[in-house]
Amino acid sequence: MSARILPIAFTAVLVTAVSLTAIPSASSAQKKVVTPKAGAACKKSGQTSAGLVCALDAGKLKWQAAPTSTVAAPTTAATTKEEGGDKKLVVACGAQEDWCQALTKAFEKKSGIKTSFVRLSSGETVARLGASKSNPEFDVWHGGPSDGFEVAGRNGLIEPYVSPNAAVIPASYKSPTGMWTGVYIGVLGFCSNTSTLRKINASIPRSWNEILSPKFKGQFAMSHPSTSGTAYTALWTMTQVYGSEDAAIDYFKSLNPNVFQYTKSGITPGQMAGRGEIATGLIFSHDCLKFREEGLSDLVVSFPGEGTGYEIGGLGMIKNAKNQSAAKQYIDWALTAEAQEIPPTVRSYQIPTNPNAKVSDRAVKLSDVKLINYDDQKAGAAKSALTKRFDAEVANAPR
Amino acid sequence: MTQLPAKQSSNQSTNQSAATRSSQDLHLRGIVKEFPGSTGVVRAVDSVDLDIEAGEFLTLLGPSGCGKTTMLRMIAGFEDPTSGSIFLGDQNIGALPANRRPMAMVFQNYALFPHLSVAGNVSYGLKIQKRSKPEIAESVEMALMTMNLNGLADRDPHQLSGGQQQRVALARAMVMKPDVLLFDEPLSNLDAKLRVHMRNEIRDLQQRMGITSIYVTHDQEEAMALSDRIVVMNKGRVEQVGTPGELYLTPSTVFVADFLGTANFLDVRVESFGGDWAKVSVFGETKEVRAHPDAQSSAQRVLMVRPEALTVAAVDEATANATVLSASYLGARAELRLESQEGELIAVTSDPEPDQMPRAGDPVLVSFDGARTYLLPN
Amino acid sequence: MAQRTSVLVDSLEVVAPTKRKRSWGLRLGGLVPVSVLLVGLLFPLFRIFVHVLDDETWPKLTGFFSQEVNRQTVFHTMELGVLVGFFGVVVAFLFAYVQTQLDVPGKRILHLIALLPIVSPPFAVATAVIVLFGRNGMLSSQLLGITHDIYGLDGLTLVLVLSFFPVVYMNLLGMMQRLDPALVEAAKNLGAGQFTVLRTVTLPLLVPGFASGFLLLFVEAIADLANPLVLGGNYTVLSSRAYIAITGEYDLGTGAILSLMLVVPALSVFLLQRVISNRKSVVTVTGKPSGSPQYLTGWAKWPPYVVGVAICTLIVTIYATVIAGAFTRVLGVNNEFTLDHARYIFSGVGSEAMFDTLRLALIATPIAGLLGMVLSWMIVRKLGRSRGAVDFLSMMGIGIPGTVLGIAFLLSFRNPTKLFGVTVLPAFAGGSTFLSGSLAIGLMFLIRSVPASVRSGVGALQQIHPSIEEASTSLGATDTVTFRRVTIPLIRPALISGLSFGFARSMTTLSPIVFLVTPDTKIMTSQILGEVDGGRFGNAFAFCCVLIVFVAVVLGLIRLIVGDGALRRTKKRTSPTPKKLVPTPQTAGQI
Repeated sequence: MSARILPIAFTAVLVTAVSLTAIPSASSAQKKVVTPKAGAACKKSGQTSAGLVCALDAGKLKWQAAPTSTVAAPTTAATTKEEGGDKKLVVACGAQEDWCQALTKAFEKKSGIKTSFVRLSSGETVARLGASKSNPEFDVWHGGPSDGFEVAGRNGLIEPYVSPNAAVIPASYKSPTGMWTGVYIGVLGFCSNTSTLRKINASIPRSWNEILSPKFKGQFAMSHPSTSGTAYTALWTMTQVYGSEDAAIDYFKSLNPNVFQYTKSGITPGQMAGRGEIATGLIFSHDCLKFREEGLSDLVVSFPGEGTGYEIGGLGMIKNAKNQSAAKQYIDWALTAEAQEIPPTVRSYQIPTNPNAKVSDRAVKLSDVKLINYDDQKAGAAKSALTKRFDAEVANAPR
Repeated sequence: MTQLPAKQSSNQSTNQSAATRSSQDLHLRGIVKEFPGSTGVVRAVDSVDLDIEAGEFLTLLGPSGCGKTTMLRMIAGFEDPTSGSIFLGDQNIGALPANRRPMAMVFQNYALFPHLSVAGNVSYGLKIQKRSKPEIAESVEMALMTMNLNGLADRDPHQLSGGQQQRVALARAMVMKPDVLLFDEPLSNLDAKLRVHMRNEIRDLQQRMGITSIYVTHDQEEAMALSDRIVVMNKGRVEQVGTPGELYLTPSTVFVADFLGTANFLDVRVESFGGDWAKVSVFGETKEVRAHPDAQSSAQRVLMVRPEALTVAAVDEATANATVLSASYLGARAELRLESQEGELIAVTSDPEPDQMPRAGDPVLVSFDGARTYLLPN
Repeated sequence: MAQRTSVLVDSLEVVAPTKRKRSWGLRLGGLVPVSVLLVGLLFPLFRIFVHVLDDETWPKLTGFFSQEVNRQTVFHTMELGVLVGFFGVVVAFLFAYVQTQLDVPGKRILHLIALLPIVSPPFAVATAVIVLFGRNGMLSSQLLGITHDIYGLDGLTLVLVLSFFPVVYMNLLGMMQRLDPALVEAAKNLGAGQFTVLRTVTLPLLVPGFASGFLLLFVEAIADLANPLVLGGNYTVLSSRAYIAITGEYDLGTGAILSLMLVVPALSVFLLQRVISNRKSVVTVTGKPSGSPQYLTGWAKWPPYVVGVAICTLIVTIYATVIAGAFTRVLGVNNEFTLDHARYIFSGVGSEAMFDTLRLALIATPIAGLLGMVLSWMIVRKLGRSRGAVDFLSMMGIGIPGTVLGIAFLLSFRNPTKLFGVTVLPAFAGGSTFLSGSLAIGLMFLIRSVPASVRSGVGALQQIHPSIEEASTSLGATDTVTFRRVTIPLIRPALISGLSFGFARSMTTLSPIVFLVTPDTKIMTSQILGEVDGGRFGNAFAFCCVLIVFVAVVLGLIRLIVGDGALRRTKKRTSPTPKKLVPTPQTAGQI
């Protein structure tokens, strides 16, 4: 008898397993497509972006005049296309996992389109888009610094789409060619642990030079530009602050003895600071705030007075996307104030690009920060070479 | 037992192309088996021709490595001959896989399925043939009864004694009613007494059922006790085929003479030949002995003298032609090692008196009975 | 020759022997596993080599060693491998020694604790170690006031030794248990004291076990990705470099070169390890052990015991940290109780990943078990000259570092494979393919699980006399029927051990699948990577707990479905594997 049990058991396991595989696809097929309401979300597009521009002026930024040419086609265009009705949408998401989850879920709920995502760093995204160019596995790329989008655009991995809702977004927050549109602003800052600072007898750093102090020896961390957009933003920021690539590389060389670790991921230094492993990490300030909210309560955000860089979180459509109408629908939606007010619910306090979106009072006030005029075109163009230089001259330099 | 269903009953598909008659002759033609070895190809079996009659009990006898087990495994279908054919009746079964040959094998280590009970083991083959349940139950019960295994049906093999395990292995093979039963040294794991007992049982059973049987062993006594005929093998070749008596009394080679029983080989001078006899001079006298047909043409010859053919008498030194090296008292007989001018001899005497055993160094007179000797080519 | 020639004989001609036809079941049964290995293992590796040879990559390879950074990375990798190998064997021997030579309390508990790390999700040990022993660790800094830098070589060595030593421990334990006490008695009889016996008899007999354990740990250590990512600090090793080259820079060429650098030492060490462990150990030859083991006496038994207990305490502390970390806000910083992490991982993506992983592992495990059993049957029973090749091929799945295999899959299965313009293999890795890439992940699980099954299967089959299967054949069963009705029931304990190991491995594997996850097929370990990356250790710990529970439950189910009952009968004569969920010594030696 015993000899019989085995094959039966195998079959049982296999059948169960196979039916398990089949379930999700079956259930997703049964879902009805809810009529999209993108048109409604676009109503605000007529309004000006005056509010945001004012705020930015206070932040001492010199913005170009918003070119009206990028203002979108009538909203109806988007709605008619949607009748094609993709049932599925795949997002390459460059922000944090819970951010991605919250946004895709909200979209799925609103549109009825089954939306899945995978969280990828910007390097990884470019990599994977390149690999599956002929048969794209993603439809939309959402989140992550815009330089990555520039690279992808130059490589023909994403294609321009000017959403009707992009009209409301200030011109400096979107690609002039419509290749990408900004969804949030994140400002680079120091993320410090107050009790560790006390231990090493240092005050909260407020300049790039301060962290060169020997007090910070082994107490500072940043990510590595070859894996993290955050670090590259820092690298390019220093290029602009000090005026040349050489000067920036020299700065990081002198910072090197203080650097405890170059992390793979952009936000890890904040976590390390929060744990008290190091005193200060260089990360986007909103990520630092998120860590503090999640329990690393000793953290404090500060900004270098010489000026700091920022990222524009991008949003773009993948070239030859399989679900183009859904992708457009998603992009239209993600630019609305409604969508941009979601991140604070998962403790992400970037500054929304849509001037009509409510800015969380926990978010960094741009008026408190001196921002450099981050030239993302140039930054994107210099990325590969500069990163290689960093890799060769700074990060892997044996200590 | 005779009510057991035959292996080739009509409701099973596996054996249809196999022989459908119950007992048939087995013929081996030009069987060669080569194995790749470390120093090139090794010939385990070398051009063997053999004919086995239906119902016959044939033993393959030889020292280890002589190819007898390989022969058996080729017959069973576990090995493919390098060349040569095997016929059952007039059907070439060389292309039949082992499981479709109407044969059943009894293994040296019994090879009982440890995960099945005694009944499970015995019924295994019948279940494969998809016999009906009542039929299987009946056959198994009969087989167990025949093998004196009543009441052990639900035991696990490891709960049985060696002899019982051997019986289960036999029952498992017998219940298949095979055309040919194959035995691969089945008794070698048993102790001496049980071995004798079991070989009698095997012989009785085989006689009763009349199944053609091929038996492999290196034990010449077992071979002689069991067999209708014995095939003596050496280095992959057949040395001689014959009945136990033929092999013992008229071996055709020194190897056979030496392998079956004990033999003294004397270098003798041949005075004259007369067909199947010869006049030889040995121990200072001339005797007429039986001779192998090839002995006359052979350049060298030896005289085989069985130990029991030697007569040893205690004499004084003057008349002695040998001295005693050692003497062993074995109950029913005594074994003497002697030093003679012809070399060292072994003699056996029956009904010895334990307190009158010769001692080492005793002078003795050795003579022999010409009838139990045989002149061999060397 | 006395012939009783029948009438027929003269008409019987000698014909060339007809090759017997093997049953289709066997042919197919043999073809399937071998082709799975060819497609899933040899072909991807081949693609790596081809990739390295292309015009763009070749110069990078030739210039590889001219760069100080690269030389150092290679050196780091080897250094780590050697240290983990050495200390791993020391710890493993210590535990085996305590089990077999010492009469001390709580041995059974020590044994069980030592086996815990077999089910260790990636990152669990490393993150727990950061929480406990980091610069601001709960134990190191907060309790003892030490600020030691755990990131780097020492931390990595600690974590890797703790994660991988159990397998070697099982192997050495098996060897020491089979060590014939008569040998020790003989030595004592000849006047040797207990230390002399240890030095002159016991240790020399274990040398093959030490060597094979060392090499095994070496391969595991240089292949590991998760720990260097979290705990490596600036100590860069090949696997993390390769990972970063691919994910960060999308430099497949560099990835392939680094893979090659990793594959060469890994495969050669793997080969060496096989040669050593295949050589029949003197210990196993002795057959039935006689006499009873004698325990070490006097004060000498306490130091190893104390060290053993200390390591066990560490292991327990680490696992406790994982559990505690899952239910506190930020363990070590803010120890407030919370269910947020649990809530987070059970909502949305987390639960999707759980079920995707579980589903794929549940599909891959039984298939791997079956393939493994068929392969080991072929290796032990059916194959002639090709035996060595198939054996090596089927074990290669663990000899090749996971990162390398992952990269190789990426290179091979992202796009359809074409031969003379004809698609011979459609693309099946990546989100846009059929079943959104889960085929590639499933295949990876399969490839990585097969070796465990093969090793235990081969071990079990070698102990079952071939005549048992021949008996079945002789009674009319085809090869397939024999395999099903005789072989499988007999090697059931090995099957359980193979299935359990394969499943645990699939569930906890990270490095090979991290490149293969897609939006619709998410794998828990890569989610854990994301959480650890994002600094949310709490979520990572919660995932680890779930993973451990999954593995424990499924291992229990495997025993229920496949196991027991029938085991009772097999145990005396043929049971080659103890009825444990843990690997048999011979299994363990190869994993």
